[in-house]
Amino acid sequence: MTEARRTTRYIWVAVLLCIALAGLVVRLVFLHVAIQDAGRTRTVKTRTYRETLTVPRGRILDGSPSANILAANIGVKDVWVDPAPLLASNRLSSVAGQLARVLHLDEAELSTRLNTTNRHFAYVQRFVPQEKAAELARMKLPSVYFSDSMTRHYPQGQNLCHVLGFVNHDGVGSSGIEQGMESYLKGIPGLRESRLDGRRREMYDRRIREIAPREGADVVLTIDQNLQYMLEKALDATVERHHAKAAMAIIQHVKTGEILAMASRPGFDPNQFRAAGDLQKLNRAIGYVYEPGSTFKVAVIAAALDQGIVKPENVFDCENGRWLYQNKILRDYHAYGRLDVADILKKSSNIGAAKIAILMGDRQLESSLRSFMIGRRLGIDLPGEEGGILRPVAQWTAISSSRVAIGQGVAVTALQMLGVICGIANDGQIMRPYVVKEVVSANGTVLMRQVPQVLSRPIRPETAVLMRKLLARVTEEGGTGAKACVEGFTVAGKTGTAQKVVAGRYSESDYMASFAGFLPAEAPEIGMIIVVDEPQPLHTGGLVAAPVFSEIAEQAVRYLGLMPASPEQTAMYYAGRANRP
Amino acid sequence: MAKRNRKKNQAGFVFPAPLAVVLVVLAGFSLVYVCLKAKTEALGQEIKALESRSVQLRQDVVREQCEWASRLSPASMEQALKAHGLVMTWPGREQIVRMRADGTIDSSVIPEVRPPARYARVDRVVMND
Repeated sequence: MTEARRTTRYIWVAVLLCIALAGLVVRLVFLHVAIQDAGRTRTVKTRTYRETLTVPRGRILDGSPSANILAANIGVKDVWVDPAPLLASNRLSSVAGQLARVLHLDEAELSTRLNTTNRHFAYVQRFVPQEKAAELARMKLPSVYFSDSMTRHYPQGQNLCHVLGFVNHDGVGSSGIEQGMESYLKGIPGLRESRLDGRRREMYDRRIREIAPREGADVVLTIDQNLQYMLEKALDATVERHHAKAAMAIIQHVKTGEILAMASRPGFDPNQFRAAGDLQKLNRAIGYVYEPGSTFKVAVIAAALDQGIVKPENVFDCENGRWLYQNKILRDYHAYGRLDVADILKKSSNIGAAKIAILMGDRQLESSLRSFMIGRRLGIDLPGEEGGILRPVAQWTAISSSRVAIGQGVAVTALQMLGVICGIANDGQIMRPYVVKEVVSANGTVLMRQVPQVLSRPIRPETAVLMRKLLARVTEEGGTGAKACVEGFTVAGKTGTAQKVVAGRYSESDYMASFAGFLPAEAPEIGMIIVVDEPQPLHTGGLVAAPVFSEIAEQAVRYLGLMPASPEQTAMYYAGRANRP
Repeated sequence: MAKRNRKKNQAGFVFPAPLAVVLVVLAGFSLVYVCLKAKTEALGQEIKALESRSVQLRQDVVREQCEWASRLSPASMEQALKAHGLVMTWPGREQIVRMRADGTIDSSVIPEVRPPARYARVDRVVMND
């Protein structure tokens, strides 16, 4: 081959290679620049991978030093099948049988549910625990798939159910703390955008965007799970013992307003919230209003004493238990002749309390009760709080004040009634009740911390001290609340036995029995209310609710490490004994 | 025809040395790029696997914490005690010494002296009698 020929060949090869490369370059340019927008978008979309980074909901912890978990999100699996290939291969019934056996489902029902040829997706069961999902995975059933999911778990079961509430299947808090603190608990999901390789796997080095999720914050409650358990156990026993329809109880720290325990019966298991009815889900302690009966005399007599309308030693004629006023008869549970104000409270005389209220006058009475936060919500950080009912004075009749004085014609929640009692225990200051102590983010930053807040000052501190002494007499021998006493402590409180309104009339058989009190009376630390709905056959607050108060308070003082009042406190407390009636 | 002397053809087409160097360097860079790319992809896959593992572990931790919380709940503790035949009771009135906050004993509630409590009763089992 001549030199010229060889050179020509080299040139041809080079030209051909250049043409081929130029073709590739043109194609490349065409693909990157000249391609239609729609085509480009489709290409990018096909290769782009976008994932929402879900974050677990924040936990709910109790207020004890060990911060026990009351609610948390746990990873579970959703089990689903593609029914079409199972039907085509005639294996549906055998697969359904094996699934039903492991997941404890009805085989016939599952087979029927999956027997659809036109679908390629059908849930077998959602929120399956990891262990069961792993067992199914080991069985290698055809056309059975698993997807990751989260569910809310309440390790304590029914304990604290009304306070915690529950989260629905979409992960949204639907009652209790879960609903009230939704904005803190839910967190903010993140976003990850990336490219996929030919096998549709995410290419880590081609990540386009990653917005980190913000985990839900932990909510720390003021409630202690052990104290709560004591309360719930006692309440369960009471409902059973007295064949009651329902019951509710709250323990509150009198100086701060923090709720230490709150329970309602009937209850429900938040893990199985769908199985519970509306009445079971109702947090009666804050969402159920009732006529308080004699416990309400506390507010009326405190107001009358505060305004100087009566003094503890003033004597009233209690008409031997039957008094005709404005053509309506008012009766006492036990007949009394003449009682002073202190004994009206101790013996719970309706007639005596009514006469005091009449002395006050309608307007003054209404205004005093409103300053005790009657008819207004206390603003607890739980959804579903009721404000009670106190009609404006313009709507009162001639006998209204005499009936309001004994807790009729007025409706309160257990929380409001406890607020009145704790207000007296707290030197006349009603504190806003709260169950959330603080909210802590996942990195430990405190996002919110509750501070005690005074809602109202219905009475002067001197009147509160006087009322504490008068209320302590209720649990002494001869008082209606003698069964509420706690060994070693002075208990102050008031019983209540209210007839329920049935079909527009006061029932002779259905009652609300209650006891609201605090201890130690000399230097109050905790306040508590017990309300039992329709106890049978015993129905008085002194026989039904007061013993429960005693039982719980006895355990609570030991658990909380409360000490009986010191000699100095006792001496100070009794300094005014000479003035006592 | 006389045979061509190949030795005289030394001055034929010679691949340009600079071009060769450039091509070699380019080839070297390509090789390094491919190696690094492969390594990066492997690391990416590893990071992804670790991310999944981290999520899984976090879920496992929460599940274990829940399980632990459940076992520590007062109801579970009570059940466990019951299962072992243990009954927890509050101390009796005579077993309590109340001390006031200032360290003095509340003399109104001095515990009585009682014979030691019997905590268990062991029945004699007669065997082969």
